[in-house]
Amino acid sequence: MIVDPVLIQQVINGLSLGAMYALLALGFTLVYGILELINFAHFNVFMVSSFIGMWALQLCGLSGQSTVLTGFALVGTLVFAFVVTMLSAGVIGVAIERIALRPLRGVRGTAGMITTIGVSYILFNIILLTAGASSENFPNPLPVVRWDIAGATLQLREVLIWGITLALMAGLHLFVNRTRLGKAMRATAQDAEAARMMGVDVDRVVMTAFFLGSALAGAAALIFGLYYNFTSFIIGYTAGLRAFTAAVLGGIGSVTGAMVGGVLIGLIESLGGHFIAVRWADVIIFSILVLVLVFAPTGLFGRAMPDKS
Amino acid sequence: MFLRRNLLLHLPVVALLAGGIMPAAAADKTVTIGISLSLTGADAHDAELIKQGALLAIDEANAKGGVAGYKINTTVLDDGTATAGQYDPAQAATNARKLVGDSSVIAAIGPQMSGSGKAMSPILSQGNLAIITPESTNPDITDPKFAGQYRPGGKAVYFRTVTTDAYQGPNMANYFADTLKVKSVYVLDDSGAYGVGIADSFQKQAEKRGIKILGRDQLNPKEADYTTVLTKIKSLNADALYYGGVAQAGVKVVKQAYDIAPKMIKAGGDGIYGAELLKGAGFPASEGVYATIAAPNVLDNPDVKPFVEAFAKKYGHQPDNYSITAYDAALVILDAIKGLASSGKEVNRANVRDAIQASHTKTLQGEVTFDQNGDITSRVVSVFRIVKDTKYPLDDVLHQYKYMGVAPQGS
Amino acid sequence: MPVVKTGMMGESFARLRRASPLAWLAPHLRSRVVVAVLFALALLFPIIHPNDADVDAVANALTYAALALGLNIVVGLAGLLDLGYAAFFAIGAYAYGVAASWQLAPDWSSFWEPFQWLGLVARFHDTGGDVVHFQVSFWLMMPVAAAITAFFGVLFGAPTLRLRGDYLAIVTLGFGEIVPIVVRNMPSVTNGAMGLNGVAAPQLFGWSFGVSATPYYYVGIGLVAFLIFTSQRLKFSRIGRAWMAIREDEVAAAAMGVNRVKLKLLAFATGAAFAGATGTLFVAKLQTATPEMFGFPVSVMILVMIVFGGIGSVWGVVLGALILQMLQSWFLADLSEWLHALGRLLSTDWLQRVDLASSTELIFGIILVAMMLYRRDGLIPATQRVAPLSLEEQTAQISQVSGQGFDALQRLGAFDTAETAEIGPLLAIDNLTVRFGGLVALRSVSLAMPAHSVLAVIGPNGSGKSTLFNAVTGLVRANEGSVRFAGSDLTHQPAHIVLERGIARTFQNIRLFPNLTVLENVMIGMHARLHTGVVGALLRLPMTRREEERARERAFEILAVFGNRLLPRVDHVVSGLSYANRRRVEIARALASNPKLLLLDEPTAGMNPAETLELADQIKRLNALGLTIVLIEHKLDVVVNLAQKVIVLDHGEKIAEGSPAEVQRDEEVIRAYLGRSAAIA
Repeated sequence: MIVDPVLIQQVINGLSLGAMYALLALGFTLVYGILELINFAHFNVFMVSSFIGMWALQLCGLSGQSTVLTGFALVGTLVFAFVVTMLSAGVIGVAIERIALRPLRGVRGTAGMITTIGVSYILFNIILLTAGASSENFPNPLPVVRWDIAGATLQLREVLIWGITLALMAGLHLFVNRTRLGKAMRATAQDAEAARMMGVDVDRVVMTAFFLGSALAGAAALIFGLYYNFTSFIIGYTAGLRAFTAAVLGGIGSVTGAMVGGVLIGLIESLGGHFIAVRWADVIIFSILVLVLVFAPTGLFGRAMPDKS
Repeated sequence: MFLRRNLLLHLPVVALLAGGIMPAAAADKTVTIGISLSLTGADAHDAELIKQGALLAIDEANAKGGVAGYKINTTVLDDGTATAGQYDPAQAATNARKLVGDSSVIAAIGPQMSGSGKAMSPILSQGNLAIITPESTNPDITDPKFAGQYRPGGKAVYFRTVTTDAYQGPNMANYFADTLKVKSVYVLDDSGAYGVGIADSFQKQAEKRGIKILGRDQLNPKEADYTTVLTKIKSLNADALYYGGVAQAGVKVVKQAYDIAPKMIKAGGDGIYGAELLKGAGFPASEGVYATIAAPNVLDNPDVKPFVEAFAKKYGHQPDNYSITAYDAALVILDAIKGLASSGKEVNRANVRDAIQASHTKTLQGEVTFDQNGDITSRVVSVFRIVKDTKYPLDDVLHQYKYMGVAPQGS
Repeated sequence: MPVVKTGMMGESFARLRRASPLAWLAPHLRSRVVVAVLFALALLFPIIHPNDADVDAVANALTYAALALGLNIVVGLAGLLDLGYAAFFAIGAYAYGVAASWQLAPDWSSFWEPFQWLGLVARFHDTGGDVVHFQVSFWLMMPVAAAITAFFGVLFGAPTLRLRGDYLAIVTLGFGEIVPIVVRNMPSVTNGAMGLNGVAAPQLFGWSFGVSATPYYYVGIGLVAFLIFTSQRLKFSRIGRAWMAIREDEVAAAAMGVNRVKLKLLAFATGAAFAGATGTLFVAKLQTATPEMFGFPVSVMILVMIVFGGIGSVWGVVLGALILQMLQSWFLADLSEWLHALGRLLSTDWLQRVDLASSTELIFGIILVAMMLYRRDGLIPATQRVAPLSLEEQTAQISQVSGQGFDALQRLGAFDTAETAEIGPLLAIDNLTVRFGGLVALRSVSLAMPAHSVLAVIGPNGSGKSTLFNAVTGLVRANEGSVRFAGSDLTHQPAHIVLERGIARTFQNIRLFPNLTVLENVMIGMHARLHTGVVGALLRLPMTRREEERARERAFEILAVFGNRLLPRVDHVVSGLSYANRRRVEIARALASNPKLLLLDEPTAGMNPAETLELADQIKRLNALGLTIVLIEHKLDVVVNLAQKVIVLDHGEKIAEGSPAEVQRDEEVIRAYLGRSAAIA
């Protein structure tokens, strides 16, 4: 059977998008799993991180589109940029938790979510007022390498995105399942009260969730910049919304769900755009989301939560 | 909160402040030009460039001692709100009332968005206050069909130093057919009123000229990724891509289209004529992209170079196309004031409106005249192509866009 | 713990009143005077301050106040987090925009003649032949648009009914995204991205509103006043109580007879209708609309407004909307000007360049976070703190069992199950099995109990006792078997139907509506026995008023069952009550539904011996009045004291059944209890 090369190309496009959404969705899901809090600040932690990533690369002497690195210089620069961006993003996440959200721990209702909307506004406007409204060129040190796969083009940067995403996810998986802190996280997600009674330091677990989630958003932001070669104060909303949708589609609170949801949303976006029209992309995505939720109210991989009585 | 302003006048400290800021030369006559733009939110970037263009003209005039004895004040209003996250027609309507309510305002510049313009125009018409838009291009507002709606006062008050969508798109379609010999095209727009309008009019004329329309789609300007639709366009083997819209999505279209289909002809309107595209898409991606402006070739005008230099010196960055149209709008108003003052007529709204209507002002775009509906009569559409010129800065609009000629009108 | 009290109508002004010079007026008159003065000021504003721009800014703010009131119904009262509320605003706006403009101009045909006769369309002579011009009146379109958006409210609400709060949020957000996209992509109807042209201004007796802001301001005042009235009437009615019950605890609400599906959809429809009517005004005022006007920021900002003002508080959300809108259109711009002036005066360069207007969103973000951290209940909180009981009141002689409560219940003929006596057992459970995944929580349990009896269910923790209650009351679905009650089948009936048929329950871990008062909790128990609907609540006819009064009286009678334990605390929020009192409120709430069968899940848990004795006595007296009771209980003395029959569950299976004495001797029972505890030890 011969597959239309355009379709292969669209799948490649969709997977690249999906990888980014998945990384971003993990941040929503980690925080939600533990605090049952929709973290709207995450949208703009992603956006701010992309600026941090850009500054980090500029620090390495890269600017504009012209400089292409290879070999050790490339790897070193990328490692440096990822470490700086992810650490800074993580610190921002922890700071948000510590300053704005911890005093609200245990408060019922929408207070926490509203606070994250407020934080999101603050981050958004700090960048708008300092970096300005025009979009910035993101340094692009990756050499252009193309492979031909059954008529479709696969680029080095796509392979890199997938590789980094998979590596980060594997790392997260190991962390959550193998380390003490990771196990404490899972326990807290199951039942915070019981976990506390069993001696789990819930504050530390929550901080870890924010750190990891934000650091992954940092990685996603850097990948975004390297892939699209620009950043701007508005990039948080669309990407964040898609990622949030992905997290819910997969089952918010579920790490596997976030990954699968991200990839699915990416594929829906590219294939839906191809077969129908990109102007309907959001309509398609949300219609599928509604359909899935009607039949599986907690998403694809969500824990069914029986009414506690 | 009620009676806020009246109450404040009684507060000693405010009175003191007011005393401190009264212009020293009270003998000078002053008039005010209102400016209403979307200074906050998603459209803030363009707003800043427009405001700077208009203020440059006014500052230059004031620096020369004012216009025929008049010192020109400005009152800058924002029609963007946090509620809307961008331009907010409701706030635009409030601004229009503010301008009408301030008796010192004799004319205004703005708005950027046709949505705001539609909300403002009826109010301005009632107040007989002329406004000149440097950016909003939706033809409805000046269409005589809607005169009862948008100018209930009778006379045109909504003037433009920018051509409506009705010409740039179709003329470029003619240029596609006649000069570039394009056989098939895919049309994209950026969901905005400007982008949809220009793409619609292009598409209509292109069909008429026998160019095959392979498809039409709409981009979400806030989205980062357009590879899906560009991959689709490539697979259709389109000769050309026509993009109607502003630089926000335009930069990404140009950049990603270069990556996916480097050889395809890419073209757009004045939305992608500017430093933002050069800076954002860069070279080699933007090499070869066609753009049009609704004015004669600006390089032919000796005033343009000093303008660009003065602008860059004052604000530290390059002007864009709308900085020019805003500068021109201010020139038209200043010229109207000058004409009235020198002929001994009273400088009031009605006279300024009439003077703008009858304007023959020399501007950066050449001589500006308006028809009875307020539209600029110059319908020359110039075509440019981005050709890298390393002798100049890579975001220097005047030198990186190479003039290709005039896009033919009609048929 | 401070005692908190929910404000009744008008009592949001409690603090105003304390310092008010109107102290000589009766309390209910005072709040009316305050409202009347506010209203008069609002009416006079354009006359005192005839500045068209400022009137216009207030009129815009009023439309947002109206939207905030609508969202407050959905989020504040019913607790359904809606992040796409602007969608309804858009639908209302476009409904009028299309029905009163040149957007649709089909060719004229005789089909349109009746509409022409009604004045909805006009025949317009165009060069290409006659076309139809839509000119539906603004005044007609306002309720019609409200009805259309209410329909969309139900349409968007329906798929979300089963979703928990946060999933609901994303789906509503999705609808909020979809509506503007659809509007943009249907240019033939909506003119797409270009925006509507020439939407007609409203007319009143032949006079067109035109472009002056003042008439729109007055329509805005009228609309907001009407919506405040509507919100208040609904909030303090059977409907409003049911919404708040859903907000507080959905499961408990269902168990108390609230039809969740119906009331949630009603909340969506009501909230949407508010937005639809407001959209009509908004588009009439602007005479244009573009899809961008209804994006996500609008939805979020309305949410921010109600949070800022006080979520759930009708006056609060109006104030919140007005302040946040005025802040943008008036205050920040002016403040920057004053700072510039100050800067010039002091020759301070940076002060002259400060532009607060461009920092509006930043300031909003800071306000939002600060409010959440330091004043979470908003400007005018929905619940007001009231003075706690005095020491004297707290230590008053406890009249353990006041006869009067029971006498009143007897007089009313409560719990009368005489007619069911002939049809065999009141409750008959047959082979009931419940599985959670692989786990069998209940395995083929059967039992039958006659009317007027007391049955105790005992067994170790995790033996399936609560699951039995949940299966009977429709909170979990039985996989096999049947439940018959008073001669009819109850298997697989939803929880609110079970209550309607006459089975009420309490919960092991107390599921009251924590932020509502004792009285409100008990009155929600009566939900299924009252009849007031939306229309009744709005009109508040004598019939409705009588029903409310009777319900209140009855609530007091039921509370009197517990002597003076609860009566002095009827207006206290239940979350501030002692554990034992909360148990009592829960029983009172269940009794309020006038059940034939009462299921009590560990009613004496957490009570001291004296309180246990007191409650056991009260249960006994309720039984004596004819009420049939099933109780899950660990305290064996209570079981022996109350129950005629005991069944024992272990691992989901019934292992013994009989009189208390028989069961105590049963070896399997002893093994189940001792064996388990031996294993633990």
